[in-house]
Amino acid sequence: MRKIQFILILLVSLSCFSQNKQILYNFTSVPQSMLTNPGADVNYNWFVGFPLLSGISANVGSSGFSVYDLFADNGVDFNAKLRNVVFSTSRNDKVSMNEQLEIFSGGFKLGDWQSNSYISFGMYQELDVLSYMPKDYAILALDGNQNYLGKVFDMSDLNARGELLSVFHLGIHKKVSEKLILGARGKIYSSIFNVSSTKNSGYFYTIQGTNSIYDQVISANGLVNTSGLTNYIDNYSGNAKSDIMKKTFFGGNLGLGLDLGLTYYPKENLQFTASLIDIGFISHTKEIESYRWKGNYNYVGLTPDFILGNSNDILDEFNDAIPLDTLHTKYTTWRPLKFNSSIQYSFGDGRSSDCNCTGDKENKYTNSVGAQLFAMSTPRTPLMALTAFYRRQIFDSLEMKATYTVDSFSDKNIGLGLSTTLGKVNFYLLADNLLEFKDVSKANSLSFQLGLNIIFPNKNTPD
Amino acid sequence: MNKFFGIFILSVLFLSCSSDLDFDQVNDLELKPVVVANLASFDIKASQFVIGGVEQPLVGDVMNFKVFNDVNFTDNISRTDLFFEFNNTINRGYQINLYFLDANDSKLYTIPVSVPAYTGTSSIVTKTEIFENATLDILKQTKKIAFLITMLPGPPLTDSSLGSLKMRSSATIYFAVQ
Repeated sequence: MRKIQFILILLVSLSCFSQNKQILYNFTSVPQSMLTNPGADVNYNWFVGFPLLSGISANVGSSGFSVYDLFADNGVDFNAKLRNVVFSTSRNDKVSMNEQLEIFSGGFKLGDWQSNSYISFGMYQELDVLSYMPKDYAILALDGNQNYLGKVFDMSDLNARGELLSVFHLGIHKKVSEKLILGARGKIYSSIFNVSSTKNSGYFYTIQGTNSIYDQVISANGLVNTSGLTNYIDNYSGNAKSDIMKKTFFGGNLGLGLDLGLTYYPKENLQFTASLIDIGFISHTKEIESYRWKGNYNYVGLTPDFILGNSNDILDEFNDAIPLDTLHTKYTTWRPLKFNSSIQYSFGDGRSSDCNCTGDKENKYTNSVGAQLFAMSTPRTPLMALTAFYRRQIFDSLEMKATYTVDSFSDKNIGLGLSTTLGKVNFYLLADNLLEFKDVSKANSLSFQLGLNIIFPNKNTPD
Repeated sequence: MNKFFGIFILSVLFLSCSSDLDFDQVNDLELKPVVVANLASFDIKASQFVIGGVEQPLVGDVMNFKVFNDVNFTDNISRTDLFFEFNNTINRGYQINLYFLDANDSKLYTIPVSVPAYTGTSSIVTKTEIFENATLDILKQTKKIAFLITMLPGPPLTDSSLGSLKMRSSATIYFAVQ
């Protein structure tokens, strides 16, 4: 029972999210926007993020239900609320969570003022969880099979993954021409722990039988992979904190990844961008424990044949037909691949309103409008999101971006981001689903990003 | 500028609200699934009661039955119904006894059923036994089920006699998981 509670709480609290960072994407006054597009048009002489404070982001989403639906203090029996949630969601509803914490980051311009190549690097820790609604399992747990004769329970409804990892990255972007910027970023992943069970299949059904009361068949092919957790499952005597530190700095299960991106200006005030993030894998070779159950069983019950000494044992039969094996073999996981793209039209003269007359101002335009497309691979159909945005340079030191996003979590997600640069200190705060802030417990998704950087701006002239 | 920014931060931090939530409700969770499953079945041909030309008035078998011994499983059961259905097409009557036995083969519970001889029209005999509280405890101690079939007197059977004695049975298990 405790286990069920734990799983329930885990599902609700960790309900994973989508990693769409629609406000940060192409918000080029924030250096961290390069993590969503290594080919972003970001200029700097050099920058450094405040350690642990330069990039903090969290994103939770639940497409089928909200925290309020389950935990509202409204006098309705919890079991009734749980039933409502289970029966009003589909197997494709999902809960997701993504959290990123930048440990350090920095960047510098290569060469002198005429150069157009920029290096950026850093390290961040990321927690990523995605679970689909295990609908048929939930129905079995709530109701059993008595009222579901003829229904085929789908074992592939169990589909979840979770990972804590650290990422060290090094990127370069270069203005190839006045119109085109190309960028790439290499990544080394160090997985602290991983749990994944995304390729389950099988079914279970009960129908009226002829020779026995029911025909009951279970066919199962399930696999749960874990890495980095074995030490904590059994009697653990070490120091978890130092373990995690060690794994953060390349001591975990390692992997490699690549980000690619570009920015293209067909006209001076028209911009197109695209990026592919996390083309990569992690090879799990250490601290692996996996559980596999596979087989078919046609359950007929006891079948006395009235021949002495000839007896079948149901439990033995079942365990032989669908054995549960514990494995310690290597496995590979692919990082969720993210695709971003945007098109932006700019207008209004940004230099006339608040002229600092030094001639090195980057933004010629006060306003921009555009649209963005986001897609992310998942164990089932990709997550998609479409965003319309408006960007405005309010003052020299303050830039704003407002977004309206439609995705599977919400069709009225309004986000707002502000980035301010006072002197050389850049601070940004981005939050979405602002309409839901009037009651966050009813929100289907929420996300925010904030951070602090020191930026030495680009120089277009020699000192 | 700073004013604008301040208002934004304040609005995010202080204008956000939340309905009253009570996460302790998870302790009220109670799962009450009802599971149906086969229990046992057999199909004995009339000729099986004749061995070497001699009628066997008594046949029996003993089966292991440990499903209800697992404490993690049985602690969450509030009631179990066992349903039996007999269909006799042999022109002899039968007395069928199901004995629930413990680890020492001692009888804990008996389910007696009388099945009349076949007279040309099928008559299905059914029986439902409900196990709750004290009787449920008996079920939990059961390690084996013995099936004992006594053939009642009547016209003699031969190797070529027609008909069969069939049993089908199922369990309906009521869980209460807290």
